[in-house]
Amino acid sequence: MKEKIFELIKESILCLNEEWEIPELENPTTDTRLFGSHSAIDSLALVNLIAEVEERLNVSFGKDIVIADERVMNRTHSPFRQVSSLAKYIETLLNGDS
Amino acid sequence: MAEVAQQQWIFSAIAGHGDKPFIFERDKCYSYSQLLDRIDSAHAQLRDWGIAPGAVAALQSDYSFEAVALFLALYRNHNIIAPISTEAAGEVRTRVKEGHVEWIINTGKDGTSCVQAGGERGESKLLCRLRVENRAGLILFSSGSTGKPKSMVHDLDSLLDSYRGKPSNNLTLLAFLLFDHIGGLNTLFNAMAIGAALVIPESRQSDSVCALIERRQVNVLPASPTFLNLILMSEAHLRHDLSCLKIITYGTEPMPGGLLDRLKNAFPKVKLLQTFGTSETGIAHTRSRSNSSTLFKIDDPNVEYLIVDSELLLRSKTQILGYLNYPMDAFTEGGWFRTGDLVEQAEDGYIRIVGRLQEVINVAGQKVHPSEVESALMEMPEVADCFVQGVPNVITGQTVEACIVTTSRGEPAAFRKAVRRFCRDRLEPYKIPTRIRVVEEIPSGGRFKKVRRPS
Repeated sequence: MKEKIFELIKESILCLNEEWEIPELENPTTDTRLFGSHSAIDSLALVNLIAEVEERLNVSFGKDIVIADERVMNRTHSPFRQVSSLAKYIETLLNGDS
Repeated sequence: MAEVAQQQWIFSAIAGHGDKPFIFERDKCYSYSQLLDRIDSAHAQLRDWGIAPGAVAALQSDYSFEAVALFLALYRNHNIIAPISTEAAGEVRTRVKEGHVEWIINTGKDGTSCVQAGGERGESKLLCRLRVENRAGLILFSSGSTGKPKSMVHDLDSLLDSYRGKPSNNLTLLAFLLFDHIGGLNTLFNAMAIGAALVIPESRQSDSVCALIERRQVNVLPASPTFLNLILMSEAHLRHDLSCLKIITYGTEPMPGGLLDRLKNAFPKVKLLQTFGTSETGIAHTRSRSNSSTLFKIDDPNVEYLIVDSELLLRSKTQILGYLNYPMDAFTEGGWFRTGDLVEQAEDGYIRIVGRLQEVINVAGQKVHPSEVESALMEMPEVADCFVQGVPNVITGQTVEACIVTTSRGEPAAFRKAVRRFCRDRLEPYKIPTRIRVVEEIPSGGRFKKVRRPS
């Protein structure tokens, strides 16, 4: 499942980066930084990325997952720092044990 | 005596139109002389029922010859009239209560009947004032989505007086807007003032409306942008000969620029005019800059306007006396009505409606008008219809969501990308929808107006 989630995030980033044209996002890996200090994208782009990932999760897993809600904002470490932390957070959501 | 003279003008106008056709309803045609006869007999009927001048009477009916005749008989009898077009029992009960209704007249399939509403005569100062001055009243209800409807009280004599003196004309108008709506009554009052014929639709489905326009050779179609778009989407205008149409007026909600362009292409010989009004102030006479422009001028000796912080304020000679069940919060001390409509101003005195104050989407502190985004989306050929609203978002407070009816049969992900790309040249980044949902249809409700949930 980890691999599938990573692929899904990667596809979302590549899809959106066709519009953003951010060099750091041309070849996303698990270490790619997303949002935070030295981040590649701004809050609006993050909202777009989350919406895109949510749509793709719905298609791939048949589940309506809300990634950005109050719980995520209350976390000490934001899952939006990099691709790996986002993937891990999505996995916990899909397993229903966040 | 002054009131009597004033009240009589509409009846002399009707008499003056003689045997001209007044209403086309199903297969029947009623003339203005027949209207006058029916008003006389209905007036006598009111007395038989015991409806005294000054009483509040609800008229539960859709548009019909009978309903119009009863409306005018009540007017002649100096009553306070509350038209109700809904049939939902709960809503009727609420309106009867909130409108201090004493009598309910129903023009159903089994003929016209009248019952006492059962409540006691309210002590409303507004209604007392009308009674003391021997003036007729009109109660309109706002279709508020939450809580009880606001009951607005108009002085019907002064409202009708604003239609006086219009040159007579042989136009045929479609009575598309409902009988209990200021726009629907505006169509009626205009028709009676100029001696036009009114065509009453049996159904408001786009194909049957277009068939009726052809059959009755309708010249004027007053409608909402949502309904006009339904005609284009269903291509009903291609299945019927609508060359009789001279004027399409649009109002009740903002017109997306992209839709106006499509309408211009579909109806190249038709004049496309914005109408503007509110239940509180009545309909203002307006002039659109051109067929392809959503800019218009308020050009009405009875209406003044002001723009404060982008919001349009109106003050008209025909505005309501007040509400029966709400404070006058929406009016300033100077009597200006805050419409809640946000407008843009062009240099030459023309204005354009850009949205509703309550519907503004706030994306990380930046304001987005749904109609602006809808206009941009409607320019995209694959977008048949769309609806934009704010959805809560923990990162930016709100984000822009677009529901789109599309002709594209491609992958949803590819379509979303295409929409965003299309918007990129037209909208600032924060206005571009972050959530794009492909839907089968946009809910519009019985009044063909987009139904928004408060953002």
